Amino acid sequence: MKKLLALLLALVMALSLAACGGKSGGDAGSSGGSSTSGDSGSSGDSGSAAPTKLTLILRAGTYADVIKECLPAFEAENNVTCEVQELSESDLYSGIALDAINKDGTYDLCMVDGSWMAEFTENGVLANLTELGYSLDDDVIPATTAICYVGDQLYLAPYYGNVTVLMYNKANVEAAGYSADQIKSLDDLLAICKNAQENGKKGFIYRGDNQNNLVVDFLPILLSFGGWVIDENNKPTVNTDEFKAAMNYYLELIATGEAQVKDDLIASVDTGAGTMGVGWPGWYTPTADSTADYIALSGAASAGAKAYNSNVYGIWTIGVPNNSQHKDLGVKLLSYLMDAEVQKATVPSGGVPCRYSSLQDADVLATYPQYEVVCQALESGMYRPVIAEWTQFYTTLGTEMDNIVNGVKTVDQGLADAQANLEQLMG
Amino acid sequence: MKKNRLPHTAESSARRFGMGMISPTILVLLVMTAYPLLFTLFYSFTDYNLLRNLQKPASFIALGNYTKLLSDAYFRQAILNTVKFTILAVIFEMLIGFAMALLVNSLTRGQKVMRTLLLLPYLLPTVTVALSWRMMLSPNYGIVNQVLETLSLPVFNWFSDMRTAFGMLLLIDVWQSAPFVFLLLYAALQAVPQTQYEAARIDGANAIKSLFYVTIPNIKNSLALCALLRTIDSFRLFDKVNLLTGGGPANTTSTITQYLYNYGIKSLDFGFGSAGAIVMTVLVLLLSSLYIKRAMG
Repeated sequence: MKKLLALLLALVMALSLAACGGKSGGDAGSSGGSSTSGDSGSSGDSGSAAPTKLTLILRAGTYADVIKECLPAFEAENNVTCEVQELSESDLYSGIALDAINKDGTYDLCMVDGSWMAEFTENGVLANLTELGYSLDDDVIPATTAICYVGDQLYLAPYYGNVTVLMYNKANVEAAGYSADQIKSLDDLLAICKNAQENGKKGFIYRGDNQNNLVVDFLPILLSFGGWVIDENNKPTVNTDEFKAAMNYYLELIATGEAQVKDDLIASVDTGAGTMGVGWPGWYTPTADSTADYIALSGAASAGAKAYNSNVYGIWTIGVPNNSQHKDLGVKLLSYLMDAEVQKATVPSGGVPCRYSSLQDADVLATYPQYEVVCQALESGMYRPVIAEWTQFYTTLGTEMDNIVNGVKTVDQGLADAQANLEQLMG
Repeated sequence: MKKNRLPHTAESSARRFGMGMISPTILVLLVMTAYPLLFTLFYSFTDYNLLRNLQKPASFIALGNYTKLLSDAYFRQAILNTVKFTILAVIFEMLIGFAMALLVNSLTRGQKVMRTLLLLPYLLPTVTVALSWRMMLSPNYGIVNQVLETLSLPVFNWFSDMRTAFGMLLLIDVWQSAPFVFLLLYAALQAVPQTQYEAARIDGANAIKSLFYVTIPNIKNSLALCALLRTIDSFRLFDKVNLLTGGGPANTTSTITQYLYNYGIKSLDFGFGSAGAIVMTVLVLLLSSLYIKRAMG
């Protein structure tokens, strides 16, 4: 019996090893390190030479999925194999940073959040794309390129057009007597959420699970009140009248709902247990018969008030690490991924290109009408502050906002503390 | 004279041989433990930031990191949270683990099955445990709230409510780690001589007296070891906090490690993070010194 068991185990192990080692083609895996392999010796620059291996470090989720589906064609054409590492936001940041200290880098293409741009370029993490011969074309929505340059030198290309939108449950909004196009101001949001609460549902759902999410969910509200977190000299401006007004409004709004993590937020709004929340296009693809949809915030605090640009970018840009060992191929891959036709082809899989040719295309809009909203939001969005201290900045501000939201500090006390700590941080 | 020299030489030779045999271990320990510790200590006196260091080398700032750390109210709160968590977790884990060990040890049948079943939570990866509990306690579709609602009991947003978040983390940690205590104490209980129980029974001792005068004295070293290991482990709590609450709401679940992650590691300020790590090491040593003294004594 023991011998039989040992034989069985050996067989299973041998089969497992064969299965693991025998992969020679096909799609990339879904998570962690995965590789898409091209046919070695296929047509391309190097003829029958062994394929060059490129390593990509990307944000996991739809953002990486749409890139992965483009890779096989590039691999076949250029005699390369691409290994893809898919990571969470914080792991992606530390992964790129930790590799940047090496002389010879591991990665040849990286996905970068706009808010890391200043820190990465100040410290020479990213290669100068202009010097490498790449430039953006006019089809790219101009506002989305705002943080991609240092002076006139390009370091990043806006790849995935993530921008904050208001995700809402259609039935709950209708029950409050509104339709999507009647939501004109933040006051309307509050009225809808209060109505939902009166009907035994949750109103506004926000992400309270970490400082970054707390801050990012609040920024569109702050912008609608005409406030921002820093001034033109990068001095913190969190203890202002605008910030206080936005915070007081936000407290009233979130009192109609509760804090939830991202997956719960989406599920809540989708099922109607919750009414609305700030989300991103990459989270949810609405269809004609889906229960939820999203709109761009109007940017007005109340009816008749001034409408500000209140959509906050969470655009995922792509760049080439400065210590890449295959910079030319990295730029070639970046150019390929940024190609208008290649980008448009990712739309059915959830891609959100920052390109007019994709977002205003009649065929695309016929199937995905929500892209009109996304395009409007992308045209008038705001990047988070491009400061090297942004990670510490949002941690400090988020901590104080968490105290305010949970009633540990008053709005005045919390914002005064945040201002003092942020002034210390920014010197 | 000659007579004395021979055994002395043999003893020296044996000592040299012993030293030679343990020297690889000492070398590995020096490289793997002492070097990182000294490295951390060194960086704790600098403003070392991983990325900034690419352009500008780190500067020596003496006790700057320590001053900043100890004057931060949130760090002090994190210390309090960690100590509170450690004390409660160790107490509950020891009590529950000990009770489980006594129960399984007293079974005449099914000991192996019970042992395996009770060990399962400890065998699961912490990430799996955290995510499973997050699903069960989800305010949306979590089974716990659904059961409570069915019973007309109040429901909570477990990880976002200041009243419940800390308790939930404690519960999950106890659920996962009590089996570790059980395993160690169960092994110790198996080694208690049965003759002592028989003698106690003959002397008229009841179950409680047997527990306090036979069982506990026999396994006290294992109890101390368990408490030491659980203290150290609980003090370093990070993954569950980071996955489930991120230190919130309002810092009520922020532990030292979570604080260091938020304010040091996440922003790549490894100098500041190193200072925090040194403070934490000192605190763990202080807290566990009683056990260590006992174990070494």
